[in-house]
Amino acid sequence: MWVQSLYLRSFRNYEEQEVSFHPGVNVLIGENAQGKTNALEAIHLLAVGKSHRTHRDADLVRRGADGATVRAVIHAGGRQRTLELRLGSGGRRALVNGVQQAKMTDFLGHFQAVLFSPEDLLLVKGGPALRRRFLDMELGQTQPAYLYHLGHYQRALQQRNALLRRVPVDEASLEVFDAQLAEHGAQVLRRRMRFLADLAPIAADIYATIADGRETLDVRYASTLPQFGDDGGGGTTLEATAEAEVGTLAEVLLRALRVRRAGDIRLGTTTIGPHRDDLRLTLDGIPAHSFASQGQQRTIALSLRLAEMEFIRRQTGEYPVLLLDDVLSELDDGRQKNLVLAMSEKVQTVLTTTSLFPLTGRLREVARLFSVCSGIIQAEG
Amino acid sequence: MWGYPEPVSRLVEQFMKLPGIGPKTAARLAFHVLTMPQEDVSAFAQALHDVKTKLTECQICCNITEASPCPICQDSSRDESVICVVQDPKDVMAMERTHEFHGKYHVLHGAISPMEGIGPAELRIRELLQRIADHPVQEVILATNPNVEGEATAMYLSKLLKPFNIRVTRIAHGLPVGGDLEYADEITLAKALEGRRAL
Repeated sequence: MWVQSLYLRSFRNYEEQEVSFHPGVNVLIGENAQGKTNALEAIHLLAVGKSHRTHRDADLVRRGADGATVRAVIHAGGRQRTLELRLGSGGRRALVNGVQQAKMTDFLGHFQAVLFSPEDLLLVKGGPALRRRFLDMELGQTQPAYLYHLGHYQRALQQRNALLRRVPVDEASLEVFDAQLAEHGAQVLRRRMRFLADLAPIAADIYATIADGRETLDVRYASTLPQFGDDGGGGTTLEATAEAEVGTLAEVLLRALRVRRAGDIRLGTTTIGPHRDDLRLTLDGIPAHSFASQGQQRTIALSLRLAEMEFIRRQTGEYPVLLLDDVLSELDDGRQKNLVLAMSEKVQTVLTTTSLFPLTGRLREVARLFSVCSGIIQAEG
Repeated sequence: MWGYPEPVSRLVEQFMKLPGIGPKTAARLAFHVLTMPQEDVSAFAQALHDVKTKLTECQICCNITEASPCPICQDSSRDESVICVVQDPKDVMAMERTHEFHGKYHVLHGAISPMEGIGPAELRIRELLQRIADHPVQEVILATNPNVEGEATAMYLSKLLKPFNIRVTRIAHGLPVGGDLEYADEITLAKALEGRRAL
């Protein structure tokens, strides 16, 4: 899988820019705030349909412009496609080979990319919302149906919360929104569980390689469903339920919502369900969130991202494009760096850096260099 | 600061009350009205006025109509034993265009949406129950939209209709006619599979 060319119009600080990439390693080099990260963001946007930095499309449009265009010619599954997103005040338009797609879910799934950036440290030390976002973005780009269920779940959740805040509470209406929540929530839950069942062992292996077996990484889904709580051991029951019929899982969720109803009414919000769940990251059983060192946290984040690469390869038969945003200089540990460099030799990589210094050995020889200055990308040499 | 003359800004404000119309579009429309012939403007104003004054809700099905009961409810050739429940008057038109449904309708005027302050009491649900109590039917078809609010409303109605002991059905969702299976997305296929029937 690789990006052959990228065209940007009025995107972030770019006026109009076209750039052709090499199937191997591409290095964007330039001072800070010249547009290096913006280029990676554009490629990532075509893969996941969301920016990793903002929820608002308006932030992506160049100041003073009506709308932005991001277009790329990509190769995946032995086919060449042109993917294009047009962002504007009137909403989004998503085109595949020039044909407008009715739904965003029809646009996604053609192309995958994994982005590793300095903010990934927050995956470990940040709040649960960031870890759910990691799950959602990852599942969204390989399974568009996940986004459908997640969207319906969130809508039903907003409706239920609106009901909870209205006194006296209309229990009959609550009943039917609970059912919607359970139906879509079960789909979300099951897909997350399956994803983690695949991802966790890969991430643990990668972690063991970097840490040289000093400690063991465990990645586990921490559900807010009471019978499958975070208190250790209970996790297997949820996994077993997730593997059963999705209807069984929906019933479990529905029952839990009913049990919590009185409490939810008192608090005016829904306190259980996938929107409150988390990923539990532990090193030798100790929560990484509060006890891991900075270096260990970076290794965990890196292990998760590299595990994503493997996961996508298993799902689609091809490695996704690897986007490295200014991370080489941060990887102080020789093993971390070697692993990233080994991966970048297997896949198309676009990386940003302020200096060539972190690029070593063979990589420096094969890399194609591009200079980025004030929103202009130029191929070097 | 220079502003529009008062009659223009008043018209702009009125246009902005329409869905999907922002200040720029409203101004464009208002200035377009200025260039229209007098009789067209009068006809436009009259049409706006009439749509509110000459229309009423049908006392039976709650659809909008010039005279109550509406022509569909008065049509004795239609099957009175089947009621198709829809969200909006537009949905009645859509069903009628198919020429396939020969029963009667009931228009809810929306779907349950607590975020927008629309509860069951805001919909024509009481009217539906009263109607069925007065004139028992054999089947009620729930044809609300296939989104969260439409599904919730359908489920809400099916619970209310249970005591009447009548057949309650939900319209099927799935493959578009003329579409090939291989091009259907995963969600549509799953829905189609869910709604499968015996041959």
